[in-house]
Amino acid sequence: MALEDYRRNMEMCCRCSCCKFIPLERLEGYRYAHVCPSVARYNFHAYSGGGRIGMGVGMLERRFEYSDTFLKVLYDCQMCGGCDVSCKYAMDMDVLDPINEMRIACVGSGRTLPVLDRLRDNLRKTGVMVGKRAGLSEWAAGLDVTEVSEKKAKVVYHAGCRARFDEEQWKVSRAALALLKRAGIDVGIAREELCCGGRAYEMGYREDFLTQAEKKMDQLRKSGAETLVTGCADCFHTLSVLYDRFAMKGDMEVLHITEYLNRLIKEGRIEPARKVEAKVVYHDPCHLGRLGEPYVPWEGKEIPGHIRLFDPPKELRRGTHGVYEPPREILRSIPGIKLVEMERRREYAWCCGAGGGVEESNPAFAAWTAKERMDEAISTGADALVTACSGCERSFRASAEKNGMPMKIFRR
Amino acid sequence: MIYEELVGIVGAGNVSEAPEVLEAYSKDMSFAHPVRPDCVVKPGNAADVQKIVQLANETLTPLTPVSSGSPHFRGDTIPGVGGAVIADLSGMKKIIRVDRPNRVAMCEPGVTFAELIAATEAEGLRLNAPLAPRQSKSVVGSLLEREPVLMPRYHWDISDPLACVEVVLGTGDVFRTGAAAGPGTIEEQWRAGSAQRASSGPSQASFHRLIQGAQGTMGIVTWTSVACEKRPRIEEPFLVGSTNLERMTELLHWFVKLRLVNECLLLNRANVAAVLAREWPDGLREARASLPPWVLLFSTAGYDYLPEERLDYQIKDIRDICRRVGVDPVPALSGIPASLLLDVVRRPSAEPYWKLRERGGCLDIFFLTLYDKLPGLMAVMAGLADEAGYAATEMGVYLQPIVQGTNCHCEFNIFYDPQDAVESQRVRDLDRKAALKLAAAGAFFSRPYGESARMIMNRDAATARALTKVKAVFDPNNIMNPGRLCF
Amino acid sequence: MALEKGIYRAFEDIVGPDNISEEPAILDAYAWTGIVQKEKNSTPAARKQTGFQRFAVRCEAILLPGETKEVQSIVRLCNKRGLRFKAFSTGWIGGNIPSGPGAVQIDLRRMNRILEINEKNMYAVVEPYVIGAQLQAELMKVGLNCNITGGGSQTSALPIAAHWGTGHAAHSISNGERNLLALEWVSPEGDIVRTGSLGSIDEWFCGDGPGPSLRGIVRGSITPFGGMGVYTKAATKVYYWPGPSMFPVEGVSPRYKPAEIPPCFMIRYFSFPSMESRAEAMRQISESEIAFELMGFPIPMIASNMATSNQEEREIFARLTKEVRGPGFVVIITGSSQREFSYRTKVLKEIIEATDGTSLRAMEDPEIGGAQMWRFIRPTASIRETFRATGDHSGVFPGHNEFAPVVRLARDIAIVKKELQEKGLLLDDGAEAFPWTEEYGNLSHAEVLYRFSASPASFEGVRHLNEESVKLAVKERAGVPFFVTGDELHDVFGPVASNYHVWLRRIKKAFDPNGAADSASYITARDE
Repeated sequence: MALEDYRRNMEMCCRCSCCKFIPLERLEGYRYAHVCPSVARYNFHAYSGGGRIGMGVGMLERRFEYSDTFLKVLYDCQMCGGCDVSCKYAMDMDVLDPINEMRIACVGSGRTLPVLDRLRDNLRKTGVMVGKRAGLSEWAAGLDVTEVSEKKAKVVYHAGCRARFDEEQWKVSRAALALLKRAGIDVGIAREELCCGGRAYEMGYREDFLTQAEKKMDQLRKSGAETLVTGCADCFHTLSVLYDRFAMKGDMEVLHITEYLNRLIKEGRIEPARKVEAKVVYHDPCHLGRLGEPYVPWEGKEIPGHIRLFDPPKELRRGTHGVYEPPREILRSIPGIKLVEMERRREYAWCCGAGGGVEESNPAFAAWTAKERMDEAISTGADALVTACSGCERSFRASAEKNGMPMKIFRR
Repeated sequence: MIYEELVGIVGAGNVSEAPEVLEAYSKDMSFAHPVRPDCVVKPGNAADVQKIVQLANETLTPLTPVSSGSPHFRGDTIPGVGGAVIADLSGMKKIIRVDRPNRVAMCEPGVTFAELIAATEAEGLRLNAPLAPRQSKSVVGSLLEREPVLMPRYHWDISDPLACVEVVLGTGDVFRTGAAAGPGTIEEQWRAGSAQRASSGPSQASFHRLIQGAQGTMGIVTWTSVACEKRPRIEEPFLVGSTNLERMTELLHWFVKLRLVNECLLLNRANVAAVLAREWPDGLREARASLPPWVLLFSTAGYDYLPEERLDYQIKDIRDICRRVGVDPVPALSGIPASLLLDVVRRPSAEPYWKLRERGGCLDIFFLTLYDKLPGLMAVMAGLADEAGYAATEMGVYLQPIVQGTNCHCEFNIFYDPQDAVESQRVRDLDRKAALKLAAAGAFFSRPYGESARMIMNRDAATARALTKVKAVFDPNNIMNPGRLCF
Repeated sequence: MALEKGIYRAFEDIVGPDNISEEPAILDAYAWTGIVQKEKNSTPAARKQTGFQRFAVRCEAILLPGETKEVQSIVRLCNKRGLRFKAFSTGWIGGNIPSGPGAVQIDLRRMNRILEINEKNMYAVVEPYVIGAQLQAELMKVGLNCNITGGGSQTSALPIAAHWGTGHAAHSISNGERNLLALEWVSPEGDIVRTGSLGSIDEWFCGDGPGPSLRGIVRGSITPFGGMGVYTKAATKVYYWPGPSMFPVEGVSPRYKPAEIPPCFMIRYFSFPSMESRAEAMRQISESEIAFELMGFPIPMIASNMATSNQEEREIFARLTKEVRGPGFVVIITGSSQREFSYRTKVLKEIIEATDGTSLRAMEDPEIGGAQMWRFIRPTASIRETFRATGDHSGVFPGHNEFAPVVRLARDIAIVKKELQEKGLLLDDGAEAFPWTEEYGNLSHAEVLYRFSASPASFEGVRHLNEESVKLAVKERAGVPFFVTGDELHDVFGPVASNYHVWLRRIKKAFDPNGAADSASYITARDE
């Protein structure tokens, strides 16, 4: 769909400002009322979901040039989907998708952020958006695991680019594989794992994403895997939702590692036995939680008339069916763990700050967002913050170090 | 000249230049400097009032409106400048309407509490009235002064129970506030089922708030609609006695917060004695000795819907609260029945007016404050009384939660003999010093009268400036009670 | 028209470079109201194209002050340099739109603190961008509650923010005009005025005096929508909350429901065979003082509130419609004790039996009813009831008056609405007028909401409805309606309502001699 196809959708925006806040039924106090890091940080209404929607209509009506400031407003957004969930509590309209289309339209017009262009160029040149191509298989050095380019496996483990280039995160992926193997799973990896391309899409590089996605699916098909398991929430969203949206996924089952491990625990194939005495708080990654909800294919049209209805009826993705429970169930199954919650959680969790290209285009804003979340985590009195996304883990770790926060950061 | 013209408006029998009449209106029970008016005019209706105001504009004659009969206490019915005409509205005594279904009554300025209470009770309604007003007190006057009322539960806003007014503004224009403004005449509104109870507006200003508290400086009110409450089917009052003021205010807070009580007020023993002196002459001396320092009076009520059950649950809930606070509500205290005290406080005072009964004179020092400030304010006042050589134990104290408990009216009644020059001077000195010291301790003089009024207004220059602009709109020639407040 | 560089720099010096913008895209985000604009608010160019559009006029710059002194400096600069200013808090439903070019918008978002909660004397002090949900959440922790505007808990908690400030709980906890205590206000000329006890002794508990009350200037039954300056802090009355510190909501958006209905809470919907029996039931409930909330919602709005999508709304509406007998209302009963709750529910039962009311089964279901109860206590689903269907929505709003005349006026406006629906000029929302009482029946109010489409024909329907509503309101003697804002309408109603417009104009002139406070929805100081 192009931005023009979202016009009627965007015109539904009544500027109520709900997109700035968590669903208000759930608001527990003054401090943690906001869901949108962008407007919370920069305050101009333009930085909110509704503000961007208004600008989107403005783009269609050619009311302004795509100036540097306009691009800044558009790209100072982690694409976390908080606005989308909050809006859809009451309204039947999309917010995140049109904002993504606005970025795609900017790319199409040749007006982009140079720093993000460089990431795109890297993808074209090396097949990944972050780090160098060489060395991205080092994380698996010495691992006794099937190489899917040589031998098929039922389950393929996708580590994700961040997990592969960040040495601090290697142990998580290695541990995940070890657990799967211990559970007797026929699992393999691609040491020359291709990037899923999801970040390119969020940044507006739709065509590059599609090109990359085709390559990725080709690699996956050759692996023979029926199930893909990933430890990266970003990748999970891409492989599960985006690939489905563009009819690329086929019948392959895509699971996040937490879903898979939880399944194995319930089947008795893994048993958390070691006691860990700790009070932990769990952070819902945007791309696993509210954005991790399965894609709902739909083809039809809006019924002319007045109430916005569709034929056939269209089910909007509202964040209701994201992956929220499996990580929590895993934590609750570990002896000694006391799980506490932040005020903003599940479908209305505050973003870690890293998404949407913000980590690269506005690192100060990304850091600010992460610190907000860290402050919230610390306020629960927990000893450790646990998350399920390599991007979130990196973001929080950096924040804890920079701000001298004593909280430990873990990833499932 | 103006005398003749006034006679032309109201008739010779309603205008007076007689020296003894002018003398009577030149002073009151306060320490305000006596100023004789040029004459006293008694309009009979709104049309008269309008003509008088128009005449005053043409001749730039100051007008001082008076609604209540004497004695007056605040100094605001004494002309602020010479050459003034007193417009005495006490003869405008029409009770225009009592509307039971909509719980509202409408009356002219000369109607007293006794008269309106009788009229409303006959229709199954009651007024949310101030504490034992004097017989001659005008209902309209009381409402315009924002006097505190006995039932905080029904005091949603500080302007209550005033609803709408018809006022002849200082320009001579007639204006109706709130829902009374229109569309339509009052009669047309009645036919449509409207009852002039909604006070705000019309539209984007709430004009009634600019007339209230103005001490007649914006215009002359010719009628007021007043919100009424239902008469209970059954009632049960109680008294709580204590030495501990904080415990009493804790009770007040919970009673009002949970809307369990109707009348709800706190008196010190001096004021209980003063209020009851006429009704309880024999037992009072003994009772006074045994009365605790603080006496809280409250009443519970049942209306049309399962009245006994309502009373029952409220009393039980009240007892739970009292147990938590560590007090005991009783039907009588030191032999004084709660029902007697309730009856006395919510009716106009028998003559002589309860505040004047003991010594012949009374200075009221009153303001609004918060519960937490009260102990400090009591201490300040006791100190001031000491300095002035006035026995603090003789001083009456009246605490009234208002606006559903968001603030508390605090009133000190200094009883004294106005014939005793020495004592009078002491009390006057006390009055002069009190405002500043009490304001510093958390007293807000929302209704400033007397010698400290200007000082109080000057504490807030921005408000005074803004009010001056309002005054210039409604009374550009400054003929309405000049010299009052900041005008 | 861009601001002169010198003026821009001066504003920048006041608020800081990060808090000012004249970037066209950002200005357009503010000009976007999402609602089809009346012609007077759209640009000539737009009118040529479509006759109407969703962008209001672009202002000259957006300013984000962080404190009152900055607001004062902005206002003074506007006065000095012949600019207008339009201040707003959350800026919904046109509350932020200036009347034309030459205005700056003052977005009060950065002024967002809760300054005080006084539990004993029951008031709270807030800045403009504290939203109702935030204040209520903090109050509930200490057993208190506040009135939240019916538009929703995402709007300002200031009792003097745009519109009238009545809400779902006004039946027992009144409305903004009556709940306002002290106020800090930057007047149109740039004076900082602190009303009542605030100005005299720096306390927030009283907004009136000394002497007459300036609360009379700063708002009436409706607010001046920025035409009297900027309200920077306000104290609001708060009330007892008998419930838990946090309502026990569970589930995932949009399907929240309570884990349990807290003790001493009940919600019901009753329908009646006639308007008269409903009116009688509402009168008795009001007089008995038993209800926490009492709102005459029509069934389509109940269905909208329950439904999480337009599709679901149709299904729920079809089901509920079969159950209701006629007009109805929602009632929420609470109790500060079990005894009180038992008494109140018993009285309610008797009243309903006496007035032939029928309970809606869906509302008796603890999950459905409980979920709806919370959405009424913390108004979160007003948008479902209004904008979700088409994105375009509005209403005709009579004023405060006695129940009978207000309901009659609303009913007559609803008849005009129905005629327009039958002609296809307004969209069929299935809803008639809905009334409610405030302060246990001291006041009543009613609204006639309507839906329209972004088409010239439908817009003509809107215009016709508004025109007829004006005529009906003048004729029916039910007070000056809430929809009367702007010179044109004041000039219609003023002459039939004590010439209030003359006085309002004089007040405006006295306080805003330079016309700096934009009066798009207030009144201008034209010469008489």
